[in-house]
Amino acid sequence: MKFAYYPGCSARSTCAELNVATHRVAERLGLDLLQLESATCTGARELRAIDPAGFYTLNVRILALAEREKLPLMTICNTCTLNLLDAHAAFVSDEKLAQAVNEKLAEENLKYSGRTRISHFLWVLYENIGEARLRELVTNPLTGLTVAAFYGCHITRPPLRYGFVDSRNNVALERLAEILGCRPIDYNGRTECCGFHTAAHDEKVAIKLTGQHILSAKTGGAHAMVTPCPLCHTVLDGFQHEIAKDLGQELDVPILHLPQLVGLALGLSPEELNLDRHVIAAATVAAHAVRKDGAMNAAE
Amino acid sequence: MLDTQISPRDGASRLGQTERDDTLLARNSRMASGATIIMRVRRQENGSIRYDTFDVPYRKWMRVLDALNWIAENAATDLAYRWICGSKMCGTCAVRMNGREILACWEAVEPEMTIEPLRNLPVIRDLVVDRAPFENKVARLEPWIERSNAYVGFPEPLSHKQMKDASKALDCIGCMCCYSACPVIGLGDLTDFAGPAPLVQLGQTALDPRNSSAKVARSLALTGIFNCVSCYKCEEVCPAAIPIVSRVIEPLKAKAAQLVPEMAGHARALRRIVAARGRVDPGALVLSVQGLRALTRLPRIVRLFLRGKINPLRTLFGTKTAAAEPARRLLGREASQ
Repeated sequence: MKFAYYPGCSARSTCAELNVATHRVAERLGLDLLQLESATCTGARELRAIDPAGFYTLNVRILALAEREKLPLMTICNTCTLNLLDAHAAFVSDEKLAQAVNEKLAEENLKYSGRTRISHFLWVLYENIGEARLRELVTNPLTGLTVAAFYGCHITRPPLRYGFVDSRNNVALERLAEILGCRPIDYNGRTECCGFHTAAHDEKVAIKLTGQHILSAKTGGAHAMVTPCPLCHTVLDGFQHEIAKDLGQELDVPILHLPQLVGLALGLSPEELNLDRHVIAAATVAAHAVRKDGAMNAAE
Repeated sequence: MLDTQISPRDGASRLGQTERDDTLLARNSRMASGATIIMRVRRQENGSIRYDTFDVPYRKWMRVLDALNWIAENAATDLAYRWICGSKMCGTCAVRMNGREILACWEAVEPEMTIEPLRNLPVIRDLVVDRAPFENKVARLEPWIERSNAYVGFPEPLSHKQMKDASKALDCIGCMCCYSACPVIGLGDLTDFAGPAPLVQLGQTALDPRNSSAKVARSLALTGIFNCVSCYKCEEVCPAAIPIVSRVIEPLKAKAAQLVPEMAGHARALRRIVAARGRVDPGALVLSVQGLRALTRLPRIVRLFLRGKINPLRTLFGTKTAAAEPARRLLGREASQ
């Protein structure tokens, strides 16, 4: 099963471990990833607001790169996923826009005709691998590991577009966690916002928003939180010291990228998944799982 | 062209709705006439707060408003709640049901419900909130049209296309659901963000092409609009289904970037970086937006550096990527916007 693969900017900078883990896990899952090296940023939230024409052009170009390879496109970032979905939707519904974008793309012999299917890694697990196959592939069930799923926004909202259900009903991550052998917890904040999109100019919003979410996960007994979005990860992990200071409480909750959690259950080691690259130590997360012989790991 | 993204997908993005029986049909079929609804209602008077539980007999197609009316008529005649039209027009009956903002007149009851007043507004009594903070904010934004040109007479040459975003904002019924759901408004005075509901009210006129740019700039300067975190929570609860982020807040941000450029420093910096490098270098973005202020975050910078998450050399000198050339060509210099 082959995909054009778009890691986005975060997975190539502040969350480089996500890119590494995704490649390793893809190999185990039998996914052949063709990384789109010349793909640009999708523009985060900023470009779409201040330069819609530029936003559509960059995103449609990424879709055209995948279409040229005749491959579906796999993403690993919520915001990139939504940007690409939005650009695709605008492209197929606005002929003038489509024509204008394609004229720009023609300079490098690219053309988009609206055929690229965009799928986040989480959806690929369900739609392309399937729950049954995934269960077969789990060689190291993470029994005993309690996780709090943090969805982020742009993989579950805006509502009623792209088949997104009302976010309070979203159970995709919890169900996946169970398949991997973990125990998912219910807690306040699972579909709340991390505040990343104002963090570069006003980080106090992100710090205030996420404190209660992490605390709620910790109070609920989570050994770790797992997120399908590197932007959420950047705040939850990278800012956690400041968040804890602001709360006046110790947090120390490891934050896993989704492919890292999957990778652990598929038998990959914490080192192979770059779990040692997190600000909040995450390499010992797997120690919470009961070993196959039934004994608890020494670190427990 | 095929629209391959629209549902039904094979199911991954739709997981949950069926598992949780959360369709209207499923909700209604869970109850039969005469069944008992357990309804907890938050009561508040003079600062004292309590939750009262009522057993409400279910009637076919019962709405939350019907249940509240039953309580007011049969169990707690002093229950304070608002409603006028009962048909999703007046926007006065908004409350929270099980943590989610709803219109009482438009939501089917559930077997067990906790009903609370909207958040982010002072409670006057029980489920009645004080709308004054919202109204004051809206008034301050001067949501009216000031023409820069003389009125040309009726009918004005105004196309649907020119009004496409303003017309979405005009669907607003002022129910405050979005204001209650907004996490940034929930942070109180931490930011100067006006919030979704006041921005929708402003959008009705600021996105109208007849409005003068000077007037719109004056209003936008008061909105703190770039503190919107783009979480779409407002859209999720809007009973009028207004695409608040994409059709109101983003067009207003575009106007702000054009008319009050200093408000959009962060967005312009990101564009500049993407145009030059093809991708965002987080260090370059933070430096560009915060300048030397970024150095006050030294402990975090050190932590991120030690984990290999930031690379000062790459930030300062850049690295050549295959994405840089197409980005430069397609976005060009900032001046070409």
